[in-house]
Amino acid sequence: MAERARTRGDRGLTDVVVLGVGLSRFSHDRLDGSIRDWVVEAVTAALEDGGLERDRLDLSVMAYESDHLAGQLGQGIIWHDSVGLAPRPTVRVEGGGATGGLAIRSALAQLRAGFGGCALVVGAERVGKSVSSATATELFAMSSDTDWELPVGGHFTAYYAMIMREHMRRYGTTEEQMAQVSVKNHGNARFHPLAQKPMALTVEEVMASPVIASPYKLLDCSLLSDGAAALVLATREWARRNAHSFADRPVIRLVGSGVATDRPRPGDRPWGAFAGFAAKRRAAEMAYAMAGVEEPRKELDVAEIYDSYTGAELMAYEALGLCEPGESGEMSDLGVFELGGELPINPSGGLLGFGAAAGATGIAQAAEIVTQLRGEADPRRQVEGAQLGLTDSHAGTATICAVHIFEREG
Amino acid sequence: MASWERGLSEPARRTVTDPLGRDQDPFADFRRVMLLELEQRFRYRHSLGKTSRFFLALEEGVLLGSRCLACGGVWLPPRALCPDDLTITSWQELPGTGRLMSWTGCSRAPSYADTGGAPYLLAYVALEGASTLFLHRLRGVDEGELEPGMPVRVAFSRGPVGHPLERFWFEPA
Repeated sequence: MAERARTRGDRGLTDVVVLGVGLSRFSHDRLDGSIRDWVVEAVTAALEDGGLERDRLDLSVMAYESDHLAGQLGQGIIWHDSVGLAPRPTVRVEGGGATGGLAIRSALAQLRAGFGGCALVVGAERVGKSVSSATATELFAMSSDTDWELPVGGHFTAYYAMIMREHMRRYGTTEEQMAQVSVKNHGNARFHPLAQKPMALTVEEVMASPVIASPYKLLDCSLLSDGAAALVLATREWARRNAHSFADRPVIRLVGSGVATDRPRPGDRPWGAFAGFAAKRRAAEMAYAMAGVEEPRKELDVAEIYDSYTGAELMAYEALGLCEPGESGEMSDLGVFELGGELPINPSGGLLGFGAAAGATGIAQAAEIVTQLRGEADPRRQVEGAQLGLTDSHAGTATICAVHIFEREG
Repeated sequence: MASWERGLSEPARRTVTDPLGRDQDPFADFRRVMLLELEQRFRYRHSLGKTSRFFLALEEGVLLGSRCLACGGVWLPPRALCPDDLTITSWQELPGTGRLMSWTGCSRAPSYADTGGAPYLLAYVALEGASTLFLHRLRGVDEGELEPGMPVRVAFSRGPVGHPLERFWFEPA
Protein backbone atom coordinates (compact mmCIF):
# COMPACT_ATOMS: atom_id res chain seq x y z
CA MET A 1 0.00 0.00 0.00
CA ALA A 2 2.81 2.39 0.91
CA GLU A 3 4.51 1.85 -2.43
CA ARG A 4 1.37 2.71 -4.29
CA ALA A 5 0.81 5.67 -1.99
CA ARG A 6 3.77 7.56 -3.40
CA THR A 7 2.23 7.60 -6.84
CA ARG A 8 -1.33 8.59 -5.93
CA GLY A 9 -2.37 11.85 -7.48
CA ASP A 10 1.11 12.22 -8.94
CA ARG A 11 0.60 13.67 -12.38
CA GLY A 12 3.33 16.24 -12.21
CA LEU A 13 1.13 18.46 -10.03
CA THR A 14 2.41 20.19 -6.89
CA ASP A 15 2.01 17.86 -3.92
CA VAL A 16 -0.36 19.35 -1.32
CA VAL A 17 -0.56 18.20 2.30
CA VAL A 18 -2.82 18.93 5.26
CA LEU A 19 -0.80 20.48 8.07
CA GLY A 20 -3.46 21.26 10.64
CA VAL A 21 -7.14 20.82 11.43
CA GLY A 22 -9.31 22.63 13.95
CA LEU A 23 -12.93 22.52 15.04
CA SER A 24 -15.04 24.66 17.28
CA ARG A 25 -17.66 22.95 19.40
CA PHE A 26 -20.85 22.33 17.41
CA SER A 27 -24.09 23.19 19.14
CA HIS A 28 -27.75 23.91 18.48
CA ASP A 29 -27.38 27.40 19.92
CA ARG A 30 -23.96 28.71 20.89
CA LEU A 31 -24.39 31.85 22.90
CA ASP A 32 -20.96 31.77 24.53
CA GLY A 33 -19.60 33.73 21.60
CA SER A 34 -20.44 34.99 18.13
CA ILE A 35 -19.58 33.34 14.82
CA ARG A 36 -16.38 35.44 14.79
CA ASP A 37 -15.37 33.89 18.11
CA TRP A 38 -15.94 30.34 16.81
CA VAL A 39 -13.81 31.15 13.77
CA VAL A 40 -11.01 32.21 16.11
CA GLU A 41 -11.44 28.96 18.06
CA ALA A 42 -11.19 26.80 14.93
CA VAL A 43 -8.30 28.75 13.39
CA THR A 44 -6.33 28.71 16.65
CA ALA A 45 -6.87 24.97 16.96
CA ALA A 46 -5.77 24.37 13.35
CA LEU A 47 -2.61 26.46 13.69
CA GLU A 48 -1.61 24.78 16.94
CA ASP A 49 -2.42 21.39 15.48
CA GLY A 50 -0.13 22.16 12.56
CA GLY A 51 2.64 23.65 14.68
CA LEU A 52 2.35 26.86 12.69
CA GLU A 53 2.49 30.54 13.49
CA ARG A 54 -0.18 32.79 12.08
CA ASP A 55 2.42 34.95 10.34
CA ARG A 56 3.42 32.07 8.09
CA LEU A 57 0.04 31.85 6.35
CA ASP A 58 0.00 33.15 2.76
CA LEU A 59 -3.73 33.38 2.01
CA SER A 60 -7.16 32.38 3.21
CA VAL A 61 -10.29 30.88 1.68
CA MET A 62 -13.48 31.61 3.62
CA ALA A 63 -16.55 29.41 3.35
CA TYR A 64 -20.11 30.23 4.36
CA GLU A 65 -23.42 29.65 2.67
CA SER A 66 -25.80 32.37 3.78
CA ASP A 67 -25.27 36.06 4.34
CA HIS A 68 -28.73 36.21 5.89
CA LEU A 69 -28.40 33.57 8.61
CA ALA A 70 -25.77 35.69 10.35
CA GLY A 71 -27.31 38.98 9.23
CA GLN A 72 -23.91 40.02 7.96
CA LEU A 73 -22.75 40.21 4.37
CA GLY A 74 -19.05 40.04 3.60
CA GLN A 75 -18.18 37.83 6.55
CA GLY A 76 -15.10 36.45 4.83
CA ILE A 77 -12.99 39.55 5.26
CA ILE A 78 -14.24 40.02 8.82
CA TRP A 79 -13.05 36.52 9.75
CA HIS A 80 -9.79 37.09 7.85
CA ASP A 81 -9.24 40.27 9.88
CA SER A 82 -10.25 38.66 13.18
CA VAL A 83 -7.03 36.63 13.11
CA GLY A 84 -4.98 39.46 11.62
CA LEU A 85 -4.48 38.12 8.12
CA ALA A 86 -4.67 41.42 6.23
CA PRO A 87 -2.97 42.34 3.87
CA ARG A 88 -2.88 38.78 2.55
CA PRO A 89 -5.32 37.65 -0.18
CA THR A 90 -8.68 36.13 0.70
CA VAL A 91 -11.71 34.89 -1.20
CA ARG A 92 -15.17 33.88 -0.06
CA VAL A 93 -16.53 30.67 -1.58
CA GLU A 94 -20.21 29.67 -1.69
CA GLY A 95 -21.88 26.55 -2.98
CA GLY A 96 -24.65 25.53 -0.56
CA GLY A 97 -23.79 22.39 1.38
CA ALA A 98 -20.74 21.91 -0.85
CA THR A 99 -19.31 25.27 0.26
CA GLY A 100 -16.60 23.77 2.48
CA GLY A 101 -15.61 21.21 -0.16
CA LEU A 102 -15.39 23.92 -2.80
CA ALA A 103 -13.23 26.02 -0.46
CA ILE A 104 -10.76 23.14 -0.08
CA ARG A 105 -10.64 22.81 -3.86
CA SER A 106 -10.06 26.56 -4.21
CA ALA A 107 -7.14 26.39 -1.79
CA LEU A 108 -5.72 23.37 -3.63
CA ALA A 109 -5.93 25.26 -6.92
CA GLN A 110 -4.29 28.39 -5.49
CA LEU A 111 -1.42 26.39 -3.99
CA ARG A 112 -0.92 24.53 -7.26
CA ALA A 113 -0.99 27.84 -9.12
CA GLY A 114 1.86 29.08 -6.95
CA PHE A 115 -0.15 31.85 -5.28
CA GLY A 116 1.37 30.86 -1.96
CA GLY A 117 2.88 27.99 -0.02
CA CYS A 118 0.37 27.74 2.80
CA ALA A 119 -3.40 28.35 2.80
CA LEU A 120 -5.92 28.66 5.62
CA VAL A 121 -9.39 27.31 4.83
CA VAL A 122 -12.16 28.33 7.23
CA GLY A 123 -15.85 27.48 7.18
CA ALA A 124 -18.53 28.55 9.64
CA GLU A 125 -22.25 29.10 9.88
CA ARG A 126 -24.72 30.29 12.47
CA VAL A 127 -27.68 28.05 11.72
CA GLY A 128 -28.78 27.06 15.20
CA LYS A 129 -31.21 29.57 16.61
CA SER A 130 -30.06 32.73 14.87
CA VAL A 131 -33.50 32.84 13.29
CA SER A 132 -36.62 30.76 14.02
CA SER A 133 -36.62 27.28 12.49
CA ALA A 134 -39.39 28.46 10.13
CA THR A 135 -37.16 31.29 8.92
CA ALA A 136 -34.18 28.92 8.64
CA THR A 137 -36.33 26.63 6.49
CA GLU A 138 -37.27 29.61 4.34
CA LEU A 139 -33.69 30.85 3.98
CA PHE A 140 -32.51 27.40 2.89
CA ALA A 141 -35.58 26.96 0.66
CA MET A 142 -34.57 30.20 -1.03
CA SER A 143 -31.59 28.32 -2.44
CA SER A 144 -34.10 26.32 -4.46
CA ASP A 145 -35.85 28.09 -7.34
CA THR A 146 -37.73 31.11 -5.99
CA ASP A 147 -39.73 31.48 -9.22
CA TRP A 148 -40.91 27.88 -9.45
CA GLU A 149 -40.28 25.83 -6.30
CA LEU A 150 -40.66 28.22 -3.38
CA PRO A 151 -44.11 29.66 -4.28
CA VAL A 152 -45.77 26.22 -4.23
CA GLY A 153 -44.47 25.50 -0.71
CA GLY A 154 -41.34 23.62 -1.76
CA HIS A 155 -38.46 23.01 0.66
CA PHE A 156 -35.47 20.71 0.77
CA THR A 157 -36.90 18.01 3.02
CA ALA A 158 -39.75 17.70 0.50
CA TYR A 159 -37.49 17.47 -2.58
CA TYR A 160 -35.29 14.86 -0.91
CA ALA A 161 -38.39 13.00 0.27
CA MET A 162 -39.81 12.75 -3.26
CA ILE A 163 -36.49 11.56 -4.65
CA MET A 164 -36.32 8.93 -1.91
CA ARG A 165 -39.91 7.80 -2.49
CA GLU A 166 -38.92 6.92 -6.05
CA HIS A 167 -35.79 5.14 -4.77
CA MET A 168 -38.05 3.07 -2.52
CA ARG A 169 -40.43 2.28 -5.41
CA ARG A 170 -37.67 1.45 -7.83
CA TYR A 171 -35.40 -0.59 -5.58
CA GLY A 172 -37.50 -1.67 -2.61
CA THR A 173 -35.53 0.46 -0.15
CA THR A 174 -37.39 0.70 3.18
CA GLU A 175 -37.90 3.38 5.80
CA GLU A 176 -36.28 1.03 8.32
CA GLN A 177 -33.12 0.92 6.20
CA MET A 178 -33.08 4.71 6.18
CA ALA A 179 -33.61 4.75 9.95
CA GLN A 180 -30.55 2.52 10.41
CA VAL A 181 -28.40 5.37 9.05
CA SER A 182 -29.77 7.67 11.76
CA VAL A 183 -29.05 5.06 14.44
CA LYS A 184 -25.50 4.61 13.10
CA ASN A 185 -24.60 8.30 12.81
CA HIS A 186 -26.16 9.46 16.07
CA GLY A 187 -24.43 6.48 17.70
CA ASN A 188 -21.03 7.35 16.21
CA ALA A 189 -21.41 10.91 17.54
CA ARG A 190 -21.21 9.47 21.08
CA PHE A 191 -17.49 9.03 20.48
CA HIS A 192 -16.80 12.61 19.36
CA PRO A 193 -16.35 15.11 22.21
CA LEU A 194 -17.44 18.10 20.06
CA ALA A 195 -20.56 16.48 18.61
CA GLN A 196 -23.92 18.18 18.93
CA LYS A 197 -26.31 15.25 19.20
CA PRO A 198 -24.82 11.98 20.41
CA MET A 199 -27.68 9.49 20.88
CA ALA A 200 -28.15 5.79 21.44
CA LEU A 201 -31.22 5.31 19.23
CA THR A 202 -33.21 2.36 17.99
CA VAL A 203 -34.77 1.99 14.54
CA GLU A 204 -38.17 2.02 16.27
CA GLU A 205 -37.43 5.41 17.86
CA VAL A 206 -36.44 6.91 14.51
CA MET A 207 -39.57 5.45 12.91
CA ALA A 208 -41.72 6.91 15.69
CA SER A 209 -40.34 10.45 15.38
CA PRO A 210 -42.73 13.00 13.84
CA VAL A 211 -43.11 13.09 10.06
CA ILE A 212 -41.66 16.22 8.45
CA ALA A 213 -42.19 15.33 4.77
CA SER A 214 -43.11 11.70 4.19
CA PRO A 215 -41.24 9.38 4.18
CA TYR A 216 -38.81 11.59 6.13
CA LYS A 217 -39.23 11.92 9.87
CA LEU A 218 -37.48 14.25 12.28
CA LEU A 219 -34.69 11.80 13.12
CA ASP A 220 -33.99 11.22 9.40
CA CYS A 221 -33.06 14.90 9.05
CA SER A 222 -29.69 16.51 9.72
CA LEU A 223 -29.15 19.07 12.46
CA LEU A 224 -29.14 22.86 12.42
CA SER A 225 -25.85 23.84 13.99
CA ASP A 226 -23.61 26.66 15.07
CA GLY A 227 -19.99 25.84 14.41
CA ALA A 228 -16.72 26.50 12.65
CA ALA A 229 -13.96 24.38 11.14
CA ALA A 230 -10.50 25.20 9.83
CA LEU A 231 -7.85 23.47 7.78
CA VAL A 232 -4.30 24.46 6.92
CA LEU A 233 -3.10 23.20 3.55
CA ALA A 234 0.45 23.63 2.25
CA THR A 235 2.62 22.49 -0.56
CA ARG A 236 4.83 19.64 0.52
CA GLU A 237 7.95 21.69 -0.12
CA TRP A 238 6.68 24.60 1.97
CA ALA A 239 5.63 22.25 4.78
CA ARG A 240 9.02 20.57 4.84
CA ARG A 241 10.76 23.92 5.30
CA ASN A 242 8.29 25.74 7.53
CA ALA A 243 6.11 23.45 9.63
CA HIS A 244 7.65 22.53 12.95
CA SER A 245 5.81 19.24 13.31
CA PHE A 246 5.97 18.10 9.69
CA ALA A 247 8.79 15.62 10.13
CA ASP A 248 7.34 14.14 13.32
CA ARG A 249 3.85 13.26 12.21
CA PRO A 250 2.25 11.15 9.50
CA VAL A 251 2.09 13.05 6.21
CA ILE A 252 -1.51 13.49 5.04
CA ARG A 253 -1.74 14.28 1.33
CA LEU A 254 -4.72 15.68 -0.54
CA VAL A 255 -4.61 13.31 -3.50
CA GLY A 256 -7.97 13.69 -5.22
CA SER A 257 -10.51 16.41 -5.90
CA GLY A 258 -13.65 16.24 -8.01
CA VAL A 259 -16.55 18.64 -8.51
CA ALA A 260 -19.58 18.10 -10.74
CA THR A 261 -23.04 19.60 -11.15
CA ASP A 262 -26.60 18.66 -11.99
CA ARG A 263 -29.75 20.55 -12.96
CA PRO A 264 -30.88 22.31 -9.77
CA ARG A 265 -34.60 21.48 -10.12
CA PRO A 266 -35.00 17.71 -9.64
CA GLY A 267 -37.97 17.81 -12.04
CA ASP A 268 -35.64 18.86 -14.85
CA ARG A 269 -33.47 15.76 -14.45
CA PRO A 270 -34.05 12.70 -16.65
CA TRP A 271 -36.51 10.34 -14.94
CA GLY A 272 -34.02 7.50 -15.21
CA ALA A 273 -31.57 9.51 -13.09
CA PHE A 274 -34.18 10.93 -10.69
CA ALA A 275 -33.39 8.46 -7.89
CA GLY A 276 -29.61 8.68 -8.27
CA PHE A 277 -27.09 11.42 -7.60
CA ALA A 278 -25.58 11.68 -11.09
CA ALA A 279 -23.36 14.67 -10.27
CA LYS A 280 -22.00 12.92 -7.19
CA ARG A 281 -21.07 9.91 -9.31
CA ARG A 282 -19.23 12.17 -11.75
CA ALA A 283 -17.44 14.13 -8.99
CA ALA A 284 -16.34 10.87 -7.37
CA GLU A 285 -15.05 9.51 -10.67
CA MET A 286 -12.98 12.68 -11.13
CA ALA A 287 -11.53 12.41 -7.64
CA TYR A 288 -10.87 8.66 -8.00
CA ALA A 289 -9.11 9.22 -11.32
CA MET A 290 -6.89 11.92 -9.81
CA ALA A 291 -6.07 9.73 -6.82
CA GLY A 292 -5.65 6.51 -8.79
CA VAL A 293 -8.49 4.76 -6.95
CA GLU A 294 -9.90 1.91 -9.00
CA GLU A 295 -11.98 -0.05 -6.50
CA PRO A 296 -13.22 2.52 -3.99
CA ARG A 297 -14.94 0.09 -1.62
CA LYS A 298 -11.79 -2.00 -1.32
CA GLU A 299 -9.25 0.81 -1.32
CA LEU A 300 -10.95 3.35 0.94
CA ASP A 301 -10.65 2.81 4.68
CA VAL A 302 -12.96 5.54 5.98
CA ALA A 303 -15.33 8.19 4.58
CA GLU A 304 -17.33 11.20 5.71
CA ILE A 305 -20.30 11.57 3.39
CA TYR A 306 -23.11 14.06 3.15
CA ASP A 307 -25.96 12.71 5.27
CA SER A 308 -28.27 15.71 5.02
CA TYR A 309 -30.99 13.04 5.17
CA THR A 310 -30.67 9.35 5.92
CA GLY A 311 -31.73 8.44 2.38
CA ALA A 312 -29.18 10.87 0.95
CA GLU A 313 -26.47 8.83 2.69
CA LEU A 314 -27.87 5.63 1.18
CA MET A 315 -27.95 7.18 -2.29
CA ALA A 316 -24.38 8.43 -1.79
CA TYR A 317 -23.16 4.84 -1.21
CA GLU A 318 -24.37 4.12 -4.74
CA ALA A 319 -23.15 7.32 -6.38
CA LEU A 320 -19.70 7.01 -4.81
CA GLY A 321 -19.39 3.51 -6.26
CA LEU A 322 -19.40 1.79 -2.87
CA CYS A 323 -22.22 -0.48 -4.03
CA GLU A 324 -24.42 -0.94 -7.11
CA PRO A 325 -27.45 1.31 -7.72
CA GLY A 326 -30.32 0.05 -5.58
CA GLU A 327 -28.13 -1.95 -3.20
CA SER A 328 -27.63 0.69 -0.53
CA GLY A 329 -30.50 -0.45 1.68
CA GLU A 330 -29.11 -3.97 1.76
CA MET A 331 -25.63 -2.62 2.58
CA SER A 332 -27.19 -0.80 5.51
CA ASP A 333 -28.85 -4.06 6.68
CA LEU A 334 -25.48 -5.80 6.53
CA GLY A 335 -23.71 -3.09 8.57
CA VAL A 336 -21.02 -2.68 5.91
CA PHE A 337 -20.57 1.02 6.71
CA GLU A 338 -20.76 0.87 10.52
CA LEU A 339 -17.80 1.32 12.87
CA GLY A 340 -16.12 -2.06 12.86
CA GLY A 341 -17.62 -2.84 9.44
CA GLU A 342 -15.87 -3.14 6.11
CA LEU A 343 -15.76 0.62 5.39
CA PRO A 344 -16.87 2.87 8.29
CA ILE A 345 -18.81 5.91 7.07
CA ASN A 346 -19.39 9.05 9.10
CA PRO A 347 -17.41 7.98 12.18
CA SER A 348 -17.75 11.60 13.40
CA GLY A 349 -21.52 11.26 13.48
CA GLY A 350 -21.98 13.21 10.25
CA LEU A 351 -24.55 15.93 9.73
CA LEU A 352 -27.08 13.84 11.63
CA GLY A 353 -25.10 13.35 14.83
CA PHE A 354 -22.05 15.61 14.79
CA GLY A 355 -23.71 18.69 13.34
CA ALA A 356 -24.51 20.62 10.20
CA ALA A 357 -23.21 24.18 9.99
CA ALA A 358 -23.44 24.59 6.22
CA GLY A 359 -20.20 26.41 5.41
CA ALA A 360 -18.23 24.40 7.96
CA THR A 361 -19.46 20.99 6.85
CA GLY A 362 -17.00 20.04 4.10
CA ILE A 363 -14.10 21.30 6.22
CA ALA A 364 -15.26 19.50 9.36
CA GLN A 365 -15.46 16.33 7.26
CA ALA A 366 -11.84 16.82 6.18
CA ALA A 367 -10.85 17.43 9.82
CA GLU A 368 -12.36 14.06 10.76
CA ILE A 369 -10.68 12.21 7.90
CA VAL A 370 -7.28 13.74 8.70
CA THR A 371 -7.73 12.84 12.37
CA GLN A 372 -8.63 9.28 11.37
CA LEU A 373 -5.68 8.92 8.99
CA ARG A 374 -3.28 10.15 11.66
CA GLY A 375 -4.74 7.58 14.05
CA GLU A 376 -5.64 10.34 16.52
CA ALA A 377 -9.41 9.80 16.86
CA ASP A 378 -11.06 8.60 20.06
CA PRO A 379 -10.29 4.85 20.10
CA ARG A 380 -14.02 4.11 20.12
CA ARG A 381 -14.40 5.65 16.66
CA GLN A 382 -10.86 5.25 15.30
CA VAL A 383 -10.70 3.10 12.17
CA GLU A 384 -7.67 0.91 12.75
CA GLY A 385 -4.82 1.53 10.33
CA ALA A 386 -6.78 3.89 8.07
CA GLN A 387 -4.64 4.95 5.07
CA LEU A 388 -7.12 6.35 2.55
CA GLY A 389 -10.19 8.49 3.30
CA LEU A 390 -12.89 10.33 1.37
CA THR A 391 -15.05 13.40 1.99
CA ASP A 392 -18.27 14.11 0.10
CA SER A 393 -20.51 17.13 0.38
CA HIS A 394 -23.15 18.63 -1.86
CA ALA A 395 -25.42 21.60 -2.44
CA GLY A 396 -29.14 21.34 -3.11
CA THR A 397 -30.27 17.81 -3.97
CA ALA A 398 -26.75 16.75 -5.02
CA THR A 399 -26.72 19.69 -7.40
CA ILE A 400 -23.11 20.79 -6.80
CA CYS A 401 -21.02 17.89 -5.53
CA ALA A 402 -17.49 18.05 -4.10
CA VAL A 403 -15.48 14.90 -3.39
CA HIS A 404 -11.97 14.83 -1.93
CA ILE A 405 -9.56 12.02 -1.17
CA PHE A 406 -6.88 12.16 1.51
CA GLU A 407 -4.07 9.72 2.00
CA ARG A 408 -1.71 8.93 4.82
CA GLU A 409 1.75 8.35 3.49
CA GLY A 410 3.64 5.35 4.79
CA MET B 1 6.18 32.89 -3.90
CA ALA B 2 4.71 35.41 -1.49
CA SER B 3 5.41 33.56 1.73
CA TRP B 4 5.81 35.35 5.02
CA GLU B 5 8.69 32.99 5.61
CA ARG B 6 11.09 33.37 8.49
CA GLY B 7 12.74 29.96 8.39
CA LEU B 8 12.73 27.31 11.09
CA SER B 9 14.24 28.81 14.19
CA GLU B 10 12.29 27.77 17.25
CA PRO B 11 9.17 25.75 17.99
CA ALA B 12 5.89 27.54 17.27
CA ARG B 13 4.61 29.35 20.33
CA ARG B 14 0.97 29.21 21.28
CA THR B 15 -1.13 31.00 18.70
CA VAL B 16 -3.02 33.05 21.24
CA THR B 17 -1.17 34.36 24.27
CA ASP B 18 -2.58 35.63 27.56
CA PRO B 19 -0.12 37.97 29.29
CA LEU B 20 -2.11 37.75 32.52
CA GLY B 21 -1.81 33.96 32.57
CA ARG B 22 -5.46 33.22 33.37
CA ASP B 23 -4.97 29.46 33.20
CA GLN B 24 -8.51 28.38 34.05
CA ASP B 25 -10.21 30.49 31.38
CA PRO B 26 -8.12 33.04 29.48
CA PHE B 27 -11.34 34.64 28.19
CA ALA B 28 -12.91 34.88 31.66
CA ASP B 29 -13.37 38.65 31.33
CA PHE B 30 -15.26 38.18 28.05
CA ARG B 31 -17.89 35.64 29.08
CA ARG B 32 -20.88 37.93 29.67
CA VAL B 33 -23.05 37.84 26.58
CA MET B 34 -25.61 40.40 25.44
CA LEU B 35 -28.35 39.28 23.07
CA LEU B 36 -30.25 41.54 20.67
CA GLU B 37 -33.40 40.96 18.65
CA LEU B 38 -32.77 42.43 15.21
CA GLU B 39 -35.26 42.61 12.38
CA GLN B 40 -34.77 42.91 8.63
CA ARG B 41 -37.61 43.58 6.19
CA PHE B 42 -37.18 43.49 2.46
CA ARG B 43 -39.57 43.94 -0.42
CA TYR B 44 -38.32 42.87 -3.81
CA ARG B 45 -39.55 44.24 -7.13
CA HIS B 46 -39.09 41.00 -9.00
CA SER B 47 -39.43 40.46 -12.74
CA LEU B 48 -40.50 37.07 -14.03
CA GLY B 49 -38.62 38.03 -17.17
CA LYS B 50 -39.00 35.98 -20.34
CA THR B 51 -41.15 33.41 -18.52
CA SER B 52 -43.81 36.06 -17.76
CA ARG B 53 -46.08 34.87 -20.58
CA PHE B 54 -46.50 31.55 -18.75
CA PHE B 55 -47.91 33.38 -15.74
CA LEU B 56 -50.05 35.69 -17.86
CA ALA B 57 -51.54 32.67 -19.66
CA LEU B 58 -52.50 31.14 -16.31
CA GLU B 59 -54.90 34.05 -15.88
CA GLU B 60 -56.72 32.73 -18.99
CA GLY B 61 -56.67 29.18 -17.64
CA VAL B 62 -54.03 28.11 -20.15
CA LEU B 63 -50.92 26.08 -19.38
CA LEU B 64 -47.90 26.81 -21.59
CA GLY B 65 -44.65 24.94 -22.04
CA SER B 66 -41.76 25.95 -24.26
CA ARG B 67 -40.71 23.70 -27.13
CA CYS B 68 -37.19 23.55 -28.47
CA LEU B 69 -37.35 23.02 -32.20
CA ALA B 70 -33.80 21.65 -32.18
CA CYS B 71 -34.27 18.79 -29.70
CA GLY B 72 -38.07 18.59 -29.68
CA GLY B 73 -38.14 18.77 -25.90
CA VAL B 74 -40.82 20.77 -24.09
CA TRP B 75 -39.63 22.60 -21.00
CA LEU B 76 -41.99 23.10 -18.07
CA PRO B 77 -41.06 25.32 -16.23
CA PRO B 78 -40.58 27.05 -19.56
CA ARG B 79 -37.27 28.46 -20.71
CA ALA B 80 -36.87 31.09 -23.43
CA LEU B 81 -33.59 29.45 -24.37
CA CYS B 82 -33.20 25.66 -24.46
CA PRO B 83 -30.14 25.18 -22.23
CA ASP B 84 -29.14 22.04 -24.11
CA ASP B 85 -29.21 23.44 -27.63
CA LEU B 86 -28.96 27.18 -26.95
CA THR B 87 -31.93 27.51 -29.29
CA ILE B 88 -34.80 29.96 -28.77
CA THR B 89 -37.95 28.02 -27.90
CA SER B 90 -41.59 28.38 -29.00
CA TRP B 91 -44.60 28.55 -26.66
CA GLN B 92 -46.82 25.49 -26.73
CA GLU B 93 -50.16 24.96 -25.04
CA LEU B 94 -50.38 21.80 -22.93
CA PRO B 95 -53.57 19.84 -22.17
CA GLY B 96 -53.02 19.90 -18.40
CA THR B 97 -53.33 16.16 -17.81
CA GLY B 98 -50.56 13.96 -16.54
CA ARG B 99 -49.32 11.21 -14.26
CA LEU B 100 -48.19 11.34 -10.64
CA MET B 101 -44.47 10.46 -10.46
CA SER B 102 -43.61 11.12 -6.81
CA TRP B 103 -45.12 12.91 -3.83
CA THR B 104 -44.60 13.87 -0.19
CA GLY B 105 -46.91 14.81 2.65
CA CYS B 106 -45.58 17.91 4.42
CA SER B 107 -46.56 18.32 8.05
CA ARG B 108 -45.71 21.99 8.55
CA ALA B 109 -47.10 24.99 6.68
CA PRO B 110 -44.30 27.16 5.31
CA SER B 111 -44.14 30.84 6.16
CA TYR B 112 -43.38 31.82 2.56
CA ALA B 113 -46.19 30.21 0.54
CA ASP B 114 -49.93 29.80 0.83
CA THR B 115 -50.39 26.04 1.07
CA GLY B 116 -53.80 26.28 2.70
CA GLY B 117 -52.23 25.24 5.99
CA ALA B 118 -50.77 21.85 6.88
CA PRO B 119 -50.61 19.03 6.15
CA TYR B 120 -50.28 19.55 2.42
CA LEU B 121 -49.14 17.36 -0.44
CA LEU B 122 -46.39 18.22 -2.92
CA ALA B 123 -46.00 16.21 -6.12
CA TYR B 124 -43.84 15.83 -9.20
CA VAL B 125 -46.15 15.34 -12.17
CA ALA B 126 -45.27 14.29 -15.72
CA LEU B 127 -47.65 16.45 -17.73
CA GLU B 128 -48.66 15.26 -21.17
CA GLY B 129 -46.58 17.01 -23.79
CA ALA B 130 -43.84 18.11 -21.34
CA SER B 131 -40.38 16.56 -21.18
CA THR B 132 -39.76 17.53 -17.56
CA LEU B 133 -41.64 17.05 -14.27
CA PHE B 134 -43.57 19.90 -12.72
CA LEU B 135 -43.66 20.47 -8.97
CA HIS B 136 -46.89 21.69 -7.40
CA ARG B 137 -49.39 21.02 -4.68
CA LEU B 138 -51.74 18.06 -5.04
CA ARG B 139 -55.20 18.68 -3.59
CA GLY B 140 -58.48 16.85 -3.19
CA VAL B 141 -56.95 13.50 -2.22
CA ASP B 142 -55.54 11.85 0.90
CA GLU B 143 -51.93 10.72 0.92
CA GLY B 144 -52.97 7.13 1.63
CA GLU B 145 -54.89 6.95 -1.67
CA LEU B 146 -51.92 7.90 -3.85
CA GLU B 147 -50.37 5.45 -6.30
CA PRO B 148 -47.37 6.00 -8.59
CA GLY B 149 -48.53 6.75 -12.13
CA MET B 150 -52.08 7.71 -11.14
CA PRO B 151 -53.72 10.22 -13.49
CA VAL B 152 -53.91 13.82 -12.34
CA ARG B 153 -54.94 17.08 -13.95
CA VAL B 154 -54.36 20.78 -13.56
CA ALA B 155 -57.13 22.70 -11.79
CA PHE B 156 -57.41 26.50 -11.97
CA SER B 157 -58.71 28.91 -9.36
CA ARG B 158 -60.67 32.04 -10.19
CA GLY B 159 -60.24 34.01 -7.00
CA PRO B 160 -57.46 36.41 -6.09
CA VAL B 161 -54.06 34.81 -5.50
CA GLY B 162 -50.86 35.98 -3.85
CA HIS B 163 -48.28 34.46 -6.20
CA PRO B 164 -49.37 33.71 -9.78
CA LEU B 165 -48.35 30.03 -9.40
CA GLU B 166 -51.20 29.69 -6.91
CA ARG B 167 -53.56 30.14 -9.89
CA PHE B 168 -53.41 26.37 -10.36
CA TRP B 169 -52.64 23.06 -8.63
CA PHE B 170 -52.95 19.32 -9.31
CA GLU B 171 -55.88 17.10 -8.40
CA PRO B 172 -56.84 13.52 -9.25
CA ALA B 173 -58.22 13.22 -12.80
